[in-house]
Amino acid sequence: MRAGDRLVVETVRRGGPWPGVLAVTTLAGAAGELALPYVMGRAVDALVTAQPGAVSWLIGCAGVTAVVALCESFGVWARGASGAHAAARLRRGILRHVLGVGQAMTRRFPAGELVTRAGLNAEETARAPEAVAGTLGLLVPTLGALVALTLIDPLLTLALGVGLVLILLVLRSFLRVTTTMAGDYQQVQGEIAARLLDALEGARTIASAGTGAEEARRILGPLPRLRAHGLRMWRANATAGVQAGLVVPLLEVAVLAVGGFLLAAGELTVGELYAAARYAVLGAALSTSLGYLGGLARARSAAGRLADVLAVPSGPHGGRALPAGSGTVEFRGVSAPGLSVGDLVIPGGTVTAVVGRSGSGKSLLSALAARLAEPDRGTVLLDGVPLAELDRAALRRAVSCAFERPVLVGDTIGEAIGLGLDDDSGVPAAARAARADTFIRRLPDGYATSLALTPLSGGERQRIGLARAFARGERLLVLDDATSSLDTITERQVGRALTAESHGRTRLVVAHRLATAARADLVVWLEDGVVRAQGPHHELWADPCYRAVFGVEES
Amino acid sequence: MTGGIRSRLLWRALRREPYQLVRLGGWSVLEAAPAFLIGLAVARAIEDGFAAGRPETGLAWLAALGVTWAVAAFAARQVVLAVAAIAEPFRDDLLAHVVRGALRTATAAHALRPDSAAVARAGLQVELARDAFAALVTTLRGFAFTVISVVLGLLTLAPGAAALVLPPFAAGLGLFLASLPRLIRQERAYLVADEELTKAMTSMSLGLRDIVACGAEEQVGARVEDHVGRQAGAARAVAKVTAIRTAALAVGGWLPVVCLLAGTPWLVRDGAGAGVVVGALAYVTQSLAPALGGLVQGLGASGVRLAASLERITGSAGPEPGPASPEPVTGSVGPEAGAASPEPVTGSAAPEPGPTTTVRVLPPVAEVELREVTFAYGPHADPVLDRFDLHVREGERLAVVGPSGAGKSTLAALVSGLLRPDAGEVSVGGVPAHRVDRRGRVLIPQEAYVFRGSLLENLAYLGDPSRSEIEAVLAVLGADRLGDLDGQVDPAALSAGQRQLIALARAYLAPARLVVLDEATCHLDPAAEARVEAAFAERGGTLIVVAHRLSSAQRADRVLLMDGARVQLGTHDELVRISPDYADLVGHWKPERTS
Repeated sequence: MRAGDRLVVETVRRGGPWPGVLAVTTLAGAAGELALPYVMGRAVDALVTAQPGAVSWLIGCAGVTAVVALCESFGVWARGASGAHAAARLRRGILRHVLGVGQAMTRRFPAGELVTRAGLNAEETARAPEAVAGTLGLLVPTLGALVALTLIDPLLTLALGVGLVLILLVLRSFLRVTTTMAGDYQQVQGEIAARLLDALEGARTIASAGTGAEEARRILGPLPRLRAHGLRMWRANATAGVQAGLVVPLLEVAVLAVGGFLLAAGELTVGELYAAARYAVLGAALSTSLGYLGGLARARSAAGRLADVLAVPSGPHGGRALPAGSGTVEFRGVSAPGLSVGDLVIPGGTVTAVVGRSGSGKSLLSALAARLAEPDRGTVLLDGVPLAELDRAALRRAVSCAFERPVLVGDTIGEAIGLGLDDDSGVPAAARAARADTFIRRLPDGYATSLALTPLSGGERQRIGLARAFARGERLLVLDDATSSLDTITERQVGRALTAESHGRTRLVVAHRLATAARADLVVWLEDGVVRAQGPHHELWADPCYRAVFGVEES
Repeated sequence: MTGGIRSRLLWRALRREPYQLVRLGGWSVLEAAPAFLIGLAVARAIEDGFAAGRPETGLAWLAALGVTWAVAAFAARQVVLAVAAIAEPFRDDLLAHVVRGALRTATAAHALRPDSAAVARAGLQVELARDAFAALVTTLRGFAFTVISVVLGLLTLAPGAAALVLPPFAAGLGLFLASLPRLIRQERAYLVADEELTKAMTSMSLGLRDIVACGAEEQVGARVEDHVGRQAGAARAVAKVTAIRTAALAVGGWLPVVCLLAGTPWLVRDGAGAGVVVGALAYVTQSLAPALGGLVQGLGASGVRLAASLERITGSAGPEPGPASPEPVTGSVGPEAGAASPEPVTGSAAPEPGPTTTVRVLPPVAEVELREVTFAYGPHADPVLDRFDLHVREGERLAVVGPSGAGKSTLAALVSGLLRPDAGEVSVGGVPAHRVDRRGRVLIPQEAYVFRGSLLENLAYLGDPSRSEIEAVLAVLGADRLGDLDGQVDPAALSAGQRQLIALARAYLAPARLVVLDEATCHLDPAAEARVEAAFAERGGTLIVVAHRLSSAQRADRVLLMDGARVQLGTHDELVRISPDYADLVGHWKPERTS
């Protein structure tokens, strides 16, 4: 069995009482719906001619309608509750798994894709019980109605079949028309949106020129065209509706006419004629119920997509704590895709710069040191303990990272810096070291300013990311090109704060700038995925190839 | 406040096209004709036709029904078109509201930068609102016309049957209407919970690397799970009220059937035949029950969607402007009028006019004066400028330098009147900066604004220059390779440097005598930048340059160094001598930096 199908079965099995309730209400409701026209027809006949059994037929009729109504109400409840229960269960599992796997997950699935899978696909998979029940609930009465109609007279069924073919044809031609029209409409929509976005980019120019009203008129210029395309879509819609709306009533009229002749011939009672007309309408819903089968197919394919996410393996975490140490990082025979580090020691308490042309493996080296990536072979140790054996919390207390493009998580700027910390009292000091304190304090609500409402520049974002890293990382601080968007003055100030740090944790700095390498105690020079050399900057400087890394020409 | 906007938008859409409403009503009557005829035709076809041994009469009645259905189907098409004729202008209104609101928000005094994603979302909501609005109008109208037709039909067929059918139907309708407010509340709560969950999951997925790097898996996981639970709870609550709604539907749809059957002996005693009973049943099962179902769907789904979409549209687009003209009244005096300006341009005793009635004045000289200026981006924010003084003489060139976030752009915005100081005064030639006529000063920001249109339109945006003037200016700025003046410009196809050249040429061509360049040359190479700055120096007038490169400072008459709380002013040489920070800067600011 495929993993997706296993997930569907498990979703039904772990659905609590709801799948059972769904099955019962659906089947009972379907049976009731199928019985109703017959019972009603008999009741009419009996009541009109005042037969002795008339009252029991009336009571039967009331009973069946009550069953149908109750089943429908409970069914609706059970559908909603079953979906909610299953979706929440699936989502919790996926979220835990995604967080457990970490960045390897986003390498496999882009963020938007993950959200779609945990959101929409979980919802679709959760509807598996409902899809099964819904298919039964529609197929039983429609197929049953066709059987009942055939029992009354096969001719009626034949007329119905012809009608159904007509409906399908109409629907197909309708769909073809709208897609092309929707394309034109969306194009004009896109045009207006593009004009608006241009204007928003130029908001300062428009504000200073005072041309807001003219701009609005210019942006809305294509509106008449949009309306013309819109009306054309409505017209196609309306025309197709005429055809679709005609088939079922005409079908019923035809059944009534044929039935009328049978009535005149004495082969049908009035009640039976009524029942035949109702069965015709019920049977005409066959195409809709076939559409429901698609629900189950959707649930299965959605479950397959969830299973893909759950199949990504997560790296193990041990339970060891760190011994006392200065933050020495040791690579032992380490290799990863595109990078072969071999043996490398980064002495505790130093500032070590990682340099090299782009694509030489600098980011991967820093990710390995922080255990944001797993090596294919070899071991990375921090103060003698392999990172994989460290307790997860101990690892993150000891190591922190700042990135070129940090993603800020949290509602406010203060929360984003203190992310995951139990104690955020160190936040302002970290922000000061990252030269972020001044601009944060100038925001409307200071540290409590909402992130969502505050568009930040790349430099501001980097400084908040730096502050977040400075606020943690007792043994090792990894900066992966984390100052690239800062202006020169600010970069120098941050660099000074970094080198002058008093508590002496190890700092591993990936950088492109000459000044950063010159300030470091030690430089690790990477080339084409291997360590070409390691040593103080002034010693490496003698090598022209090293100078070329910084774009310094031979003279 | 925004609720008022929403009902105003809806009301305007409904009232604006009275002709369409009349047309809608007329076609609706025809569309509802089968609802009137169905029971009657079935009853007569059986009673007078098939059961009476006159099948041709029966067929005639059925044919009449069939023809009515055909007419109704055509009428339904016209109904859709009439609804469209109301819904499309409604969409136009909403779109205009979004566009104007977004522009207003983006150009408002304290706007930091526009959130384009929010605008895109508002655009999507406009489409949803249009569809929901059309669906709502269609179903509400359809329900009303169907019920009226059925009542008339029942009364025509057998008034006794009407008495049996209508009370339980009304009871079901009443039950549904009573459950409606709760249903709408729960549906909206669900929409909000679902959106919050999506937001939380998006933020988690985007920040996965950072969450793991910070060891915040537990914290973030718990928060997202909280959203999962809340969304599921909201979904369960919706399921519960939907079940109640379904029950109301059953009462309104099925109870009339049972009542009708129970009353059949009584109807028969009054002379009705089996055909009449079947006809009455047809009214209930074919017309009333589906109409009620449509209403439930329309109000329960489309109504909720419309409300939610309108809420987002009016919420995201900012407040509606007042009824007055959005354009400020421009009453300016030419420079030749000199000091004989009719406006009392200084003196705080004059009452401050409201923003929509600001009288713009063209200042007689282009000198800039900031006195004791304090400005902060909010009451809880540290000030960017604190009791700041500056005087820039007419014709002077001032360069402003300093690290990012030092307040350089804020200063430019204050001088241009885009921001108003919390305390102190900013004036240009004696006129408060926010009241300076747009022909008196021009600000070119870092992000050059180029719009889809001809190059000529783009260049003549701030004035009315002749073609030869434009060509001369393009040559002076070294921007003569931008293409044909009448050619269409696609901003996306231009490089950042080309866009800046267009914006600079536009500013050069403007009549303004005060030019503020806020890193407006950052995407040009140093040589092109020098050429542009030299050209602006030749142009005359006062020039304030927020410098991107130190070379700009070296070319200026005076330099303003801003770094946090420290501000220093002097010539380039003076600053090198007296300011270690500036000297430091000269040593380190490399010309290749671009951001």
